[in-house]
Amino acid sequence: MEFESIDDVMKRLEKAGYIASREIATVVFLAAAGNKPILVEGPAGSGKTELARALSTCMNRKKIRLQCYEGLDEAKALYEWEYAKQLLYTQMIKEKINDLISEADTIADAVERIADQEDAFFSERFLLARPLLQAISADDPTVLLIDEIDKADPEFEAFLLELLSEFQVSIPELGIRKAKHIPMVVLTSNNYRDMSDALKRRCIHLYIDYPEPALEAKIIRMKLPGIEQRLADKMIVVINRIRELDLKKRPCISETIDWAHALAVLRIDEITREAMSDTINVICKYRSDADMVKASMDRILH
Amino acid sequence: MMHLLLKFAAICRSGDLRVSTSEVIDAVTHLQWVDFSDETGFKAALKANFAKSRREQGNFDRLYHLFFHEMQTSTALDPDGEQTVEQRQIITQLQENEMLTDPIDSALIDFLKGDPAAFLQEIYNLENREEYSSPALKSNLGQLSARLAVMLRINALKGAIGEANTGGRSGDSQSAERLLGRLDRAYKMLTEDNRPNNDALKKVRSNETHFRDIGERSFAALSPAEIVQMQEIIKKLVRKLRDRMGRRYAAGSRRYLDVKKTLRHSGRFQGIPIEIKYRQRPLKKTKIIALCDVSGSVWSAARFMLNMLYSMQDCFSAVHSFAFISGATDITEIFEKYEADKAVEKVLSSRKIEFGALTDYGEVFQQFRRHHMHLVNKRTTVIIVGDGRSNYHNPREEILADIREKSRRIIWLNPEPEDFWHTGDSEINTYKAYCHEIRPCRNLNQLVDFVEDLVL
Ligand SMILES: Nc1ncnc2c1ncn2[C@@H]1O[C@H](COP(=O)(O)OP(=O)(O)O)[C@@H](O)[C@H]1O
Ligand SMILES: [Mg+2]
Repeated sequence: MEFESIDDVMKRLEKAGYIASREIATVVFLAAAGNKPILVEGPAGSGKTELARALSTCMNRKKIRLQCYEGLDEAKALYEWEYAKQLLYTQMIKEKINDLISEADTIADAVERIADQEDAFFSERFLLARPLLQAISADDPTVLLIDEIDKADPEFEAFLLELLSEFQVSIPELGIRKAKHIPMVVLTSNNYRDMSDALKRRCIHLYIDYPEPALEAKIIRMKLPGIEQRLADKMIVVINRIRELDLKKRPCISETIDWAHALAVLRIDEITREAMSDTINVICKYRSDADMVKASMDRILH
Repeated sequence: MMHLLLKFAAICRSGDLRVSTSEVIDAVTHLQWVDFSDETGFKAALKANFAKSRREQGNFDRLYHLFFHEMQTSTALDPDGEQTVEQRQIITQLQENEMLTDPIDSALIDFLKGDPAAFLQEIYNLENREEYSSPALKSNLGQLSARLAVMLRINALKGAIGEANTGGRSGDSQSAERLLGRLDRAYKMLTEDNRPNNDALKKVRSNETHFRDIGERSFAALSPAEIVQMQEIIKKLVRKLRDRMGRRYAAGSRRYLDVKKTLRHSGRFQGIPIEIKYRQRPLKKTKIIALCDVSGSVWSAARFMLNMLYSMQDCFSAVHSFAFISGATDITEIFEKYEADKAVEKVLSSRKIEFGALTDYGEVFQQFRRHHMHLVNKRTTVIIVGDGRSNYHNPREEILADIREKSRRIIWLNPEPEDFWHTGDSEINTYKAYCHEIRPCRNLNQLVDFVEDLVL
């Protein structure tokens, strides 16, 4: 088995720079043990993509990433023939082709003769492998991150489903490619739309929420080892109160980290109104959000 | 363990979670790898297999707690939960009681025994009841009275427990207390709000100031000249949206070799296909279904919303528009036939719309499902415009849930100021659990924001 235990997952993820809750570690452990894809949901910035990165580091596997978007199709996700290269080659070996067909009596015969050589043009050399094919043909096990699957079209989801159940693809000109190793698959979703039942059945599910205060404090101390415990704790209290507000964009972990950096650079070790005002732009992306925080300052600081 | 898990899976199903056999098998496999003394791990393993979206997690947590903690039977995690002899005696007496023969009674007795599946099923049936009432007698009383009937059975059972306890020799009141407590729990479950978690709901509140004055004033407060000005703005806006969509697809479309075109162009280079031509990918078919409340409570906004829908239908090929008060009326054809002003007039005076009737969203959804659901698929964005004020009729939220399941996204535009959303007969709180996005939309700035944000 890839991991010895749930604790082992936690330890190794932490070494790779990822602080995981026990739930996260459990699901990762089960997914790895059962060779199941993980479908990770959660608000933006809660560490979904980061989890895949940390997994690849701690499992010592290459990470292959497929970023999803509307209109993503097989040509961009799986493979594509390099037409340009094929055409270029036909031009370069024009003489040879002429030789080949010079003795042909009819056009049909000529076409037949060229067809015999088709293999040469539909070979590995002209195949452009995209992330999914890369993951399937890799010689060593990989971590395959399919990021923001909710942005892809439903048709693509259906196609992906097939791939995730078979771990093989059929390339008409080359035959069937079967995965040498089943990759560790992480799919992430920001919930722009709902995933199909079929896809959910294939996967084991994980929801990553904003971290518990203790975990978030641990993350901050990992990123800024020098930070004072008292300051870190206070920051987390404040950040969580801000998260309760009705903001356009709630601050996530990376905002907490950025804020900690900002406080360190400014040598602020007490979170006062002034300190908040000076650094609020690190926490809130939108002006309207910053204004709302300023308006609720009393409640946030006490 | 196997038995326990199957039981829990059955309970999850009665409690409206979709758990397939393959998921039960996965859970069995996974439970081999976790330590039962570590409840976090145990629960996480079950949750990862039985609740596969954030929306279902609240329901899962509730059922998990009910089964593994509150039921406290010998089947559950807690070995101390074993029922006492007295408890079993009381239950036997209840089973033999001739006054307790209703199916609900037996579901409740199962509940007392530690098996909530039948009772959960009853609750599920209650929530998903079809209303068969005549149009003249519309209300959600059917659902309420069915609920009331269950409450009465709970009280009857409580009475019977009291009698069994005083009649019994031991008079162990503690055992009776525990059973009564469990019935209290059943009672609470009946009234519990069990809507899905919807923390991914996009709520848009603040908006940019696109236009001063005319942009900020509510639709109701505009002069005729301003209305004309506004219609122009809306039209331009929707055109811009269309161009944006078109551009986006064009960018992703240069990928298939167009052999004919390439060869044609190669003529210029002595037959060498230097310039490679690609086939234009067809534009993706985006579908919109718009439902627009035209009742008195949103009268002033309806005009603008219809105008916006008109422009949308003008720009995009697959738009279906409906107007509603107490039934869904297809107005797509009116929009196709007439120019904007005329079309809006036609809609607002259409005889197919019952302008005198009370708004009834539940009935609207019901009619929509019955006659137009086939229009909805995973490409469809459903836009609902309305204040959700439904005169205390049955909201039929399960139909909206069904629409969500079949469509791509549901966006709700509410022309009412947000402070009023949760007052009186507004069901917006109920409905928002099934929307992907919800926004106040009562002035031009908010409307502009909406169209600019829209991704189809
Ligand atoms: N558990 C964690 N441990 C350490 N850092 C984390 C953790 N979760 C999030 N982060 C930090 O937050 C940032 C944002 O996370 P990311 O994975 O990009 O979010 P998402 O993909 O969920 O939107 C990461 O770059 C990382 O620095
Ligand atoms: Mg990400």
